[in-house]
Amino acid sequence: IHLLSTAAEPWPENASLYQQLKEEQILLSDNASSLAVQAFLQMCNLPIRVVCRANAEYMSPSGKLPFIHVGNQVVSELGPIVQFVKAKGHSLSDGLDEVQKAEMKAYMELVNNMLLTAELYLQWCDDVTVEEITHPRYGSPYPWPLNRILSYQKQWEVRRKMKAIGWAGKTLEQVLEDVDQCCQALSQRLGTQPYFFNKQPTELDALVFGHLFTILTTQLTTDELSEKVKNYSNLTAFCRRIEQQYFEGHDKDSSATVAARSAKRSLLR
Amino acid sequence: MAVPMELSCWGGDWGLPSLHPESLTVMAYAKFSGAPLTVNTINNSWRPPKGTKYNADYELSAKQGADTLAYIALLEEKLLPALLHTFWVEAENYCSVTKPWFASRIAFPLSLYLPGKMSREALNRILLTRGGPPHYSVTEVEAQIYRDAKECLNLLSKRLGTSQFFFGDTPTTLDAFVFGFLAPIYKVCFPRVQLQEHLKQLPNLCRFCDDILTCYFRLTVSGCSPSGQDTADANLQKLTQLVNKESNLIEKMDDNLRKSPQHPPRKLTTLKLAAGGEAGSPLNRLSP
Repeated sequence: IHLLSTAAEPWPENASLYQQLKEEQILLSDNASSLAVQAFLQMCNLPIRVVCRANAEYMSPSGKLPFIHVGNQVVSELGPIVQFVKAKGHSLSDGLDEVQKAEMKAYMELVNNMLLTAELYLQWCDDVTVEEITHPRYGSPYPWPLNRILSYQKQWEVRRKMKAIGWAGKTLEQVLEDVDQCCQALSQRLGTQPYFFNKQPTELDALVFGHLFTILTTQLTTDELSEKVKNYSNLTAFCRRIEQQYFEGHDKDSSATVAARSAKRSLLR
Repeated sequence: MAVPMELSCWGGDWGLPSLHPESLTVMAYAKFSGAPLTVNTINNSWRPPKGTKYNADYELSAKQGADTLAYIALLEEKLLPALLHTFWVEAENYCSVTKPWFASRIAFPLSLYLPGKMSREALNRILLTRGGPPHYSVTEVEAQIYRDAKECLNLLSKRLGTSQFFFGDTPTTLDAFVFGFLAPIYKVCFPRVQLQEHLKQLPNLCRFCDDILTCYFRLTVSGCSPSGQDTADANLQKLTQLVNKESNLIEKMDDNLRKSPQHPPRKLTTLKLAAGGEAGSPLNRLSP
């Protein structure tokens, strides 16, 4: 990214965010990441259109989702997107001091390290979930046998990575323990504040919201994952607060409201 | 009460009790909390404590406990790849320092095989977790992981500020982890040392490592009162399990080793009382 040239152009009206097909294809982890970016952009007050494409993963410059298409730039993943947006003059974390910024980055790594990896583990390494949810969904836009091939290929890739970082040997119970530990840490850090750094949301809030909201509202083969999050009432309140503030009453096509409506389970019960 | 635990790990050099980050973390934690820990070199067998469950009761406040978890994630994600790279993948470092050092401490014929395996595993881990587009070559990945590691060091330095430890005046789990990661970078003398040079520009982190080494590893008296001994033990057991993961292969090979003639057992290398603990002459010690 050439930061000098991006700073010159203002945020266009037709900026788009690309992800996989919402109803049939997208998986837990990608949905979480996409929602995190959407939340971040909403918090920065930058308009974004969500575009669903079956081949979104292959269009992405890094192979990971989501990615945004702004002017003639394409940027993927939350980290680079935050930097890109900062180069355009919008930032949520400018008001933090150095120590707080360090803390924010550390907590974002915690979410990536534990929550995201746990989501990947659940959807690619837990046999029941793989059979019933992941395989049918992942390749659904494609005809047989391509759908199975793509799906197995991706599974092999993810399992290799899990092995390299030492998660392959974990049982589902251990993974859920890790999720609980992570949620406990997040809950303790959040405390009674509205956001992680008190009055103003930052990219950390967006990231946490993306993952927790998705976990809470996605129907899986088992409720154990969402139960872990529900144990912490300040976290569910946090999700509801962000949902209400940044997603409801906005554009009706926004992913979160549609997800909330079409998901079998909703926070507002 | 506490069952003295045994830790089987790689020995030390350059003034450190061990070169292995996780071993160092465990040893530091043991020192901080005063838990009894016997350190053996890898020739001896390792008996894992049975029936341990990780106890999340930190001795700190709830928020500090949460911060610990977050910073450990940061270390693993941002600093560990570069640490692995410096030790195991960077060709000059690996060939001239790491491989001979580790090989000299393993019995033949494992010494021919094990360092190579660890090197391959390190490279594998780096490429799988950080490789992939938009980095299309190993050099780009390397550049990125070193950038990340330097940023991580800067963040740690800012977080530490002028305090003695990360949460005030007494050391905690987080201090043990940071020490475990930083000390090898700080002390081991490699030909290619970009990470070490960066670290040396952050004087509070260097002072942090030196403090722990002088206070906790030169003297046998620990400076911290072990409040909640059971908690400390449970945490320690968890940490020793982490090290055990790394030593799994060695455990399996143990049986083979016992059947074959061995070198005479090496002395404990925990206390190197050489002044300053500097390199001296690493070549002398690295007799294959």
